[in-house]
Amino acid sequence: MIEVLRAGRCDLVMDQGRSGWGVLGVPTGGAADPAALAAANRLVGNDADAAGLEMILSGPVLRFPTGGVAALTGARFAATRSSGAAVVWNQTLVLAAGETLALERAEVGCRCWLALRGGVAVSPVMGSRSTFLPASFGGFQGRALQAGDMLPGDGRGGEVRLLRAHPPASLTGEALRVVAGPQAEQFDDTGLAAFFSRLYRAEAASDRRGLRLRGAAVTHRRVKLPSQGVLPGAVQIPPDGQPIILGWDGPVTGGYPVIAGLIAADWPRLAQLQPGDPVRFVTIEVDAAQALAATPWPIEEMG
Amino acid sequence: MSAGLTALMAASAGVASTLAAIRIAANSVRMMQHSEKRRHPMGKPKTSRLYLKAAPDPNVSWRWVSERGLRLATGDATLARYLALSSLNLPEIEDMIPADGSLLLILRRGEPVSADLLEALAMPLAIAHATTGKLHEIAVEYGGAAGPDLPALAELSGMDAATYIRSHTAVEYTVAFLGFQPGFPYLRGLPPALHAPRRASPRVSVPKGSVAIGGAYTGIYPASGPGGWHILGRTPVDLFDPQREAPALLMPGDHVRFVAA
Repeated sequence: MIEVLRAGRCDLVMDQGRSGWGVLGVPTGGAADPAALAAANRLVGNDADAAGLEMILSGPVLRFPTGGVAALTGARFAATRSSGAAVVWNQTLVLAAGETLALERAEVGCRCWLALRGGVAVSPVMGSRSTFLPASFGGFQGRALQAGDMLPGDGRGGEVRLLRAHPPASLTGEALRVVAGPQAEQFDDTGLAAFFSRLYRAEAASDRRGLRLRGAAVTHRRVKLPSQGVLPGAVQIPPDGQPIILGWDGPVTGGYPVIAGLIAADWPRLAQLQPGDPVRFVTIEVDAAQALAATPWPIEEMG
Repeated sequence: MSAGLTALMAASAGVASTLAAIRIAANSVRMMQHSEKRRHPMGKPKTSRLYLKAAPDPNVSWRWVSERGLRLATGDATLARYLALSSLNLPEIEDMIPADGSLLLILRRGEPVSADLLEALAMPLAIAHATTGKLHEIAVEYGGAAGPDLPALAELSGMDAATYIRSHTAVEYTVAFLGFQPGFPYLRGLPPALHAPRRASPRVSVPKGSVAIGGAYTGIYPASGPGGWHILGRTPVDLFDPQREAPALLMPGDHVRFVAA
């Protein structure tokens, strides 16, 4: 059980998402960095696909009436515990009954994940506990958390193993790797040169549907395109030439030309971009990108 | 690494963004997608006998949207191709998104295209697949507050409102695909006289159930939200409910007939 004393900017119940519903217009969604949430789950003894919380930029104040075993991964937020114990990322935390955890602002990066032993036990919708905000379903009542919410979870007992996870070396950094997109040829030299050589900045008006960038306009021939299937990471160029990287909850079809596709290995970086952060694009070949398989974070017993 | 790619990376890093480097870079990016009809999606056409077996049909072409997104140009056979691939349950395919003349295959992370998938793409399609589909009759309140754009649409088509409504209800539409919002159907079959370019500026909020026209398609908004199509009426029918066993009322291949309420 988790009681929300104060909500953060946008706290969402997430798991590994719901795939296979694209034909209905529903994207997979799920944690913006699935490996980070999976690692948090393993730190508390859960299956990797249990539901936890995804928090962005500014976190909530949470109370654990019956205590519990928790873990935080992803961006470090300024954080305190009512017990006075240190809030350490990437390791198992044992919370006493009635203890509160206060997450303030992100220090570096943008998103962090909290797992609780037993998982957040909201009912699955279409096979997943992930919140899908654009259509208001899944997660906790299809919305971001609010003060006063009580999140179900049995916080089951049993032996507690104190574990530590090792995140990949760089979850941040301005270079994002992309493969050339299906409409790359529609862009003229000036447009391609802008996209591949200039620095862009993440806009404040970005959410899980898409990350808007601002910078040199990516010029292209305006051709009427039929709606085509898209997936997270697809970089669309709308008529104003300012790129939009489609996010985890983005639409499944789109009508703007796609200049490039962000590779899955760099989605975790996308998840950590703060408004104003610089971004630039570098290319990689499709087969090289496919060879970058997802690897779970290494986890070891402490002390 | 090719010289073009090296130049591209240098240009990307801002180290040598000379005009020449950028031109080479631009060509290199184009080449990465250019040879779609000749190139094996795995990128190794010459070493594979399978390639010869797999792509004898010059109409099968593909494009990478990202390393996990393989977009097949499927034309009128989009739904048949979707159904044929669905029935195979190929392990590397995480999701599929039929759209307007193309089918996007979303591959599981780290999975290349398998021999089985290539073989499936080379197989002729059973056309019978595509001809099934339920017929739905959908009641619509046309015009008035429910359809604020009806007068303008009718005028654009050179008809009076009653004639326009008769034209819209006279057709049996086919669900081409769902997209934009969960359960939003793109309905094919709109009489050409009723085609209308999208609104110059989208509405901030289109009410749930709005029946609308965008280009050559007519569609229905399953939920309230922003939208750029012209609204000609509204239906009380619930198009999408994630709690239902079949969340979307309409599926690709289904047929729709509108009935004026």
